[in-house]
Amino acid sequence: MIPEITKATVESLYMIFVSGLLSIAIGMPLGILLYTFSISRRLTSIYRVMDVCVNIFRSIPFIILILLLIPVTRRVSGTIIGPNAAIFNLTVAAVPFFGRLTENALNTLPKGVSDSAQAMGVSYRQFVLMVLVPETLPEHILNASVLLINLVTYTAIAGAVGAGGLGQLAINYGYYRFQWDVVLYSVIILVLISQVIQLLGTRVAKILRK
Amino acid sequence: MKLLEVKDLHVSYADKGRIAVVLDNINLSVDHGSIMGIAGVSGAGKTTLLRTLNLLQRPDSGRVVFDGIDITTISSEKLRILRRRVGVIFQSYNLFRSKTVLRNIAFPLLVGGIAKKEALRKAREIAEELELTHRLNAYPSQLSGGEQQRVSIARAIVTNPKMILLDEPTSALDPVLTSRILRLIRRVNSEHGITVIVVTHDMDVVKRVCDEIAYLEKGKMIFCGPTHDYFSEHYLSITRDEHAAEQLSKAKQLLAKRDRSRLVRLVFWGEATVEPILWRCSSGLDVTINIIYGEIEDFKHGPFGTLLIGASGGDTDLFLDHLSENVYKMEVLDL
Ligand SMILES: Nc1ncnc2c1ncn2[C@@H]1O[C@H](COP(=O)(O)OP(=O)(O)OP(=O)(O)O)[C@@H](O)[C@H]1O
Ligand SMILES: [Mg+2]
Repeated sequence: MIPEITKATVESLYMIFVSGLLSIAIGMPLGILLYTFSISRRLTSIYRVMDVCVNIFRSIPFIILILLLIPVTRRVSGTIIGPNAAIFNLTVAAVPFFGRLTENALNTLPKGVSDSAQAMGVSYRQFVLMVLVPETLPEHILNASVLLINLVTYTAIAGAVGAGGLGQLAINYGYYRFQWDVVLYSVIILVLISQVIQLLGTRVAKILRK
Repeated sequence: MKLLEVKDLHVSYADKGRIAVVLDNINLSVDHGSIMGIAGVSGAGKTTLLRTLNLLQRPDSGRVVFDGIDITTISSEKLRILRRRVGVIFQSYNLFRSKTVLRNIAFPLLVGGIAKKEALRKAREIAEELELTHRLNAYPSQLSGGEQQRVSIARAIVTNPKMILLDEPTSALDPVLTSRILRLIRRVNSEHGITVIVVTHDMDVVKRVCDEIAYLEKGKMIFCGPTHDYFSEHYLSITRDEHAAEQLSKAKQLLAKRDRSRLVRLVFWGEATVEPILWRCSSGLDVTINIIYGEIEDFKHGPFGTLLIGASGGDTDLFLDHLSENVYKMEVLDL
């Protein structure tokens, strides 16, 4: 029993962190673009289009998104089951989510601080890299922990359709064989993972918030 | 050539479908190396005007000519470079909370492409001048209001700009800190040769630091010129200066009993302020002079005095003739 639980835990962690990193790497620039278009006078129409797209993606329930993505997943991952296929699904679902979180975090930058950077003649690149992101860094850390915790849940859902990991373990043993102890261990491990992520996120954000 | 010229400037805000005109036909010019005050009551449009000067606020129409270049027509790339020659000190300081004092001060240098080592060295130098050396590694949230303000001034002058713009630099300070900041502004102006434009609603600030003043009222500029001219006009126009109007009506009551007295309001400016002009103008003229109110204030370019006197008997007319040749401005009122 123990080797199976360990294997499932490693699979879950693998799916959570790889899709987490991918979602941050893609979602953060998306959020920066959303912010940039929303404050720009000329490009607000682009913002409206992106805004609607993000909302549509976010309102599709994850399990349905997996179904809709099946043809694409097969193309991208070569298969529709297993951790790698799940990572693709998880990333597609999490990118718009993290993009929105990032946009909200960037909106906490006071207008005056942005003005004073403009008054110093910063370029767009300098503004993003030296002012916008560093000034809102604690918020991004908290967002990353929210994202990862959401991915814990999503990973378990993906387990129901063959992704592997703790979710699938719990369903296979609990739902089909009534071995409730396996379900219990899975839940405990999932809760622990979430707690650690949350604690770390809060701690780091607090240190960064001066 | 002037350092800054503003021509026929109009600014309005679109607010819930309605258009509010905030600046109406503003014309302004600022000499190299001078200190210009923008004054007016709250809501007059002072901050808006200041923000328009480096195009943080785009005007509806009009020109802003800085150092010979009309900045309303140049590309955003060129505008960016030009902005590096103008320091701005906002009312709320707007420091970067994720950066230390040293990094805040060095920031504009780094933005301008100066090597990090050199930028930090220069930042330290300015910090020392502004007495911030002991706080270099603190974060903005750990500073007092006065310290934050000095950091924001250091950050604005570290690039050795041609001009700095200050929004209400004294509104949050006590009298001691106010005096200190005003001295600092004058020093930055005289030692670094930086032209200063300062927004304030405090006329005392104008008196103490400004060469010229632009006075705004509901978005219109009702005066633009030398500080002493503004206060001289202000003193002599009863409708505008309540204090002077009150003095005058009291004086009229007091002097009403004496017949044939003339009431005279005088403005002194510069060295003449401390000379015995009344004595000189009245010698040999058997005039009775009655001093009712008087005040001397220290302006940036020297003393500025106002005096209210009654004069009667003897050759009053001749005395007044002499007087009018020797004072800055004079006004005779018959009782
Ligand atoms: N972003 C804005 N949108 C709409 N109206 C604005 C905006 N900013 C300022 N105003 C209006 O413009 C007018 C002038 O504002 P401004 O801030 O320039 O005044 P001020 O002279 O600096 O006042 P104070 O001394 O209170 O700072 C005010 O009536 C204000 O309500
Ligand atoms: Mg203001």
